[in-house]
Parts: sequence; structure tokens; C-alpha cells
Amino acid sequence: MNTKTSVLVSESSIGDTLRDLLGKLLENGEIDSVFALRETRQKGRYCYSLITDPTLIREALPFHPVMPVQGARALSEMTITEPFGRPVAALLRPCEIRAFVENVKQSQGSLENIFIISCTCPGVIPASKLLGEDREDVLANHGGNIRNACRTCTGFIPGPQADMTVLLASDEPHDGTVIYLNTDRAVEIAGKLDSLSRETGKPAAELTSGISEAREKSLKDLMRDIPAPADGLQSLVSLFAACIGCRGCREACPLCSCVLCDYETARTLHSPELVRSEAKRKGSVRVPAGTLQFQLGRLMHISPSCTACGQCSDVCPVDIPVSDIFIRAANLVQESLDYAPGRDTDDTPPMATYLEKELLDITD
Amino acid sequence: MNSIIVDFLEKALVSDYVSSVLVPSGGPDNTFPWTLISDVSALAMAEPVPPVMYVQGAKALASFTQSMTEGKLLAVMRPCEARAAVELSKLEQIDLDNIILLTMDCPGAVPLKEYRRDAGIQPDISIPETIRPLCRQCTEFTSAGDLCLAMHGGLREVLPLTPAGQELLDSLGMKAEPDTSAWIEWASSLKAEREAVSTENRKSLKKAYSGLEGLVEVFSGCISCRSCRTVCPICYCRLCFIDMKDRRCPASAHLENSRSSGAARVMSGTLLFHIGRMAHMSLSCVSCGMCEDACPSDIPVGRLVSMVSAGTTAVFNYSAGSDPEDPLPLNTFRLEELHEYED
Repeated sequence: MNTKTSVLVSESSIGDTLRDLLGKLLENGEIDSVFALRETRQKGRYCYSLITDPTLIREALPFHPVMPVQGARALSEMTITEPFGRPVAALLRPCEIRAFVENVKQSQGSLENIFIISCTCPGVIPASKLLGEDREDVLANHGGNIRNACRTCTGFIPGPQADMTVLLASDEPHDGTVIYLNTDRAVEIAGKLDSLSRETGKPAAELTSGISEAREKSLKDLMRDIPAPADGLQSLVSLFAACIGCRGCREACPLCSCVLCDYETARTLHSPELVRSEAKRKGSVRVPAGTLQFQLGRLMHISPSCTACGQCSDVCPVDIPVSDIFIRAANLVQESLDYAPGRDTDDTPPMATYLEKELLDITD
Repeated sequence: MNSIIVDFLEKALVSDYVSSVLVPSGGPDNTFPWTLISDVSALAMAEPVPPVMYVQGAKALASFTQSMTEGKLLAVMRPCEARAAVELSKLEQIDLDNIILLTMDCPGAVPLKEYRRDAGIQPDISIPETIRPLCRQCTEFTSAGDLCLAMHGGLREVLPLTPAGQELLDSLGMKAEPDTSAWIEWASSLKAEREAVSTENRKSLKKAYSGLEGLVEVFSGCISCRSCRTVCPICYCRLCFIDMKDRRCPASAHLENSRSSGAARVMSGTLLFHIGRMAHMSLSCVSCGMCEDACPSDIPVGRLVSMVSAGTTAVFNYSAGSDPEDPLPLNTFRLEELHEYED
């Protein structure tokens, strides 16, 4: 490939360049607000913030390697009842964009007036690794500490919804900052930033082929090693044995957007009578019932649109490899449905699509 | 302790006085799922006092006892779990009529995350470092429910605490009337020790996180996973008020919020949620520590709620889980009360 793409370059660091760029956009009124990570009053704890004051943009931590809350979940919370009325620049990782595109398809948010700045994503560090005193060391060894989900992520280059893409992960280390201008809006905005020079550069895919290859290999290993339903009920029971029923995986998942989960409804919960009669019939039963039903049910509901962000594993207090299980299932399901979550807002979700003739190969 | 309880459960189940038993059992991967047992042979797997708390016992009990019809159930749980069960019965989530609660001198529980890293840790009542921060300051470590297995003061005996407990012992022909004075002395001395610890801990917690600023700081690491609420035995609502659609805040309000302070946290209801939860459940909080075990951000949420609970229950002179007949303060209307809080 010899295609050249339009980029902005700067000799300053990525953080400084982005803070400078965002501050200018806020000052000149191109955007109203910035959606980005900030550190909270407690060291090592972060939150997404909506920043409107240009002087506070210095607190923004663009693409700091953490994901306290999945960005799509935060954006959905804000735009579920109405879109932003004024432009907001959102710093999002590729999996967050994909999740938000899925949210939009399911009427859980709106992309209107959101200017997306994304990155070739090197991955994020599990939150639990940053709670200790050794967090500086953990941050310094970023690559060695990323989530499992990130290690196996092949979708680390953002899709067409990203207006700008910062070259963060790349095969060769690079100084300074390279920002791809993916959309007309990005080119228009870039025209107003005289401190950054316009150049042409190689497309991000060319500069990250080595990472892509390594990720493909890790994903292949995961597909081979993670237990599957086909391994039998007992392997699933063992896998989820430690589940304490906190539902943190569901609450943290950007795709689990139901106000009341099916598995909390009277229709689905096991009735007291059923639990007691099962105990009588079998001699003993595990209570509360429904651990596996919840996990498999969620897997069924989410796997077509799972964007492999790893948030579910991150919150699990008993370290069940939830995201490994979901990523494996999602890969198989999405392949068989020929569906790529987050690719395009116009793709209809497979569960919302009726086709008279489909999946004939798995029909009796 | 485990074998004494298992023997007792076996006796009870064989006697036909109880038709089923609720008890933790050994599961795969160092887990201890609650099991509802009606067949004596299933007791072989029972681990009545596991080193950790995966699910609060009252929550397990409430999952199948909202209405009890046939047969008596004997449930073995820690004192804080039995007290939560009493609160849930007042909240009409458990029908205690046919349920007998057996507790024990509780050794405390190992913090769940530590146990998952090292399943070799065993809770030791005399080594505070082995148990959760809330267990270290727990003053209600024994004598809850209908019966209690006393393991200190030279005893290894199931003692009746209520007529229902006595009736079970009678029906099993267990008539021993041991000298409990040394055990009572052990309990009151540990209680005094723990009270001092708890007063001290609450004082320093209050100092560190008092006022709005302090609350903002301590909850700043909250990622809104709501696990504290989901694992709490007292938070039983099917749909929490904080998740209701009419609480949704439009994009314009988020932008306005950000404009007024220059920058605003998103996932905005963090403090409202935690304070609201405390307002709703602190009177019934049994300080079991399950919320803190579940928190992926290591927020001392259990210690905070427990501290608030000590304050709110004192106002109403109420003790969560102590007396099933003691009405819930929030369900009790008094024409004359709390004048000191009026303007």
C-alpha cells in the first residue's frame, strides 16, 4: 500500500498536543465541551468528565490507560433523552466508539454533535492494578499490564465514526504527535489550528501491522483455550462457581442497557415453590438459583453486539474471566451472523432483523 | 465447629422435625455455595462456617422463603446473616414462621478478594489481620437467631435463644444445661474490646471523610457498578429508585452542570446514589461487610454505611436484627417524635 493520508503533526507529547488543541477549540467556540478522563481527588482513581472551562483542560488526561467507566455508558447516560445541542469533543477508545454506535442503534443515545477523537489503542490497565502503592511502576510498564481483552483486541484502530485518530499504538516508537484527519469536519477544524503542521503520512494500519499480528495470535490462543459451552455443563459451573451475584458485569457493560434486566423480573426469577420442590426432588440445590442462567442469558443477549472492551472482567470482584468468555462467544456469534458491532449506525442489529432464510446450516 | 454443626443438622434432618436445611457447602474452585438440602446424604458436602462470605446468607434465604408453606427449615448462618434475615422478615421478604436460625460464635470472614488470591487464609478470631475490617469491629459476633453454637468459655454446645430454638432441642432430646458463665464472660470481654476498636475506627473514618467534601473524596473512585447494592441483603428492591427512567438527566442539563463549575464528573449520580442508599437501608444495616467485599474499587463502603447506621439506629433507639417484634422505625408513625431535628 502506498496511500498517503492527511495528518497533523506536532513535536510535543500527545497529552500536551491534545490539551492544547482542545483548549483552543473551547476558546474559539468550535466546541462547547470536552468529554475526557480526569484524575479524581484520590490518586489512581479516574472519572470521565465534561469540561467546558478552557483553563481546566489542563486536567484532562487524554487516553490515560484506564477505563473506570466504559465511555459509551457515560455518553449514553447523557444523550439518551436528547442529543447534545452544542458540539462536544469526546475522547474515546475504539471499543467505546463501537459500543456507543450499538447504543445509538438501540435508541440508547445520540451521536449528534459529538466530535470524536480516538486513537490507535494500546489498551488499558485493569483498575485493580492501579489501587496499590505501586501504581507508578504499573503505569510505567503499561504494555505488560493491559487487560486480557486488550491483549486480544484486533479492533484497535477506530472505525469511520472517529473524526480524528491519534497514533498512539504503533510498531515503531515515535516522538511527538501524529493525528489523522478522517472526516471533512476534522479537516475543517484542523484548518483553524495554526500551531500544528499539515503533512501526509502512511495510514495507521500500515504502521501497526506488527501489533495487529500479535493481537490476532493472542485472540487465536484465547479462542482455543477458553472453555466453551460445548465443553459441558460442568465446566461452565466451575467457571462461574465463584460468582457472588453482584451483577457488576452487567452494570458495567455498555451494551446491557435494560432498565430492568430480564433476570430480575418476576417472570424469570425462580419461584420459592420451584426452588423448594427442586431441593426435594434432587436432595439439594444451590441458592440463590439462576447464576448460570443469568450468565448464559446475558451472553446470549450481548454476544451479537459485544465490543470486547473487557469492562466486565475489570469489575468482577472474584476475578472470573468474564470478558474472555464473552469475547470467545462474540467472535463466533458475530461471524455466523456476519455482523460487526459498531461498524456503521446503518447496520441493523441481527436480533432486530427478520430474514426468511437464514442460519439454515444450524437448522434441523 | 463445622463437624459439630453438621452432626446437629444431620440429627435435625433425620428427626423429621425439620424437613430441609440451608447451609453453605464446599463447591468447585474454593467456593462455598449456599445449598438447600432435604436429603441427609447431601450434608457430606456441608461447610457450615466457611472462611469467606460469597453471598450474604439472608439474601440466599430470601431467594426462596418469601412465602413458606410446608415443613420447617433449619438455616445455619453467621450472626450478621441471621440478623439480616430478621430485618428481611420485617420487610416482608422472608417468612420466618417456619424457619429456625442457627448461628455460632463467629470467627469473622476473610476479605473475599484476599481469599481469592490465597485460599489458604483462615479467619482467626484472635488475629484481626485475618478478618475483614468490619468483622474486626463487630460487636454482634454471637447469640443471634434461635440457637447459637457456643465454642468458647469451655463450651461446644448448641444453646437455645428463643422458644423455637428450645423446641427444636427438646424434640431432638438434647437436654443439656451447661454452665455458660465462662462463655458469657468471654463474649462480654470481646464485645468490650471490639466496641473500643469500633469507636476508634468510626472516629477516624468520620474525621477523614466528613462533610460533602469528604464524601466526594471517598466515593470518587466509584465506578457505578452498583455491586454494593446488589449484594446487600437489605437492598431488596427489584428496581432501585436511582435507576428509574424519571431520574434521567437530559444532555442540556449535563452541559449546564459542566458550565456552572467548569468541569463536571459524568456518571453523575454517584453521591446521590450512595447517600440515598444509606438513607434507605442504614436503619436495617447489620454491618455484614458484603458491600465492601464486592466493591471493585476498594472503597470502605461497608465501614461508612455501618458508621452511618450506628448514628441513625441510635436516633430511633433501634437495633437491626435483634428482635423480630421490634417494628421498623420507618414503618412506625408517632405523632410526637424527633422534635430536636425540627427547625
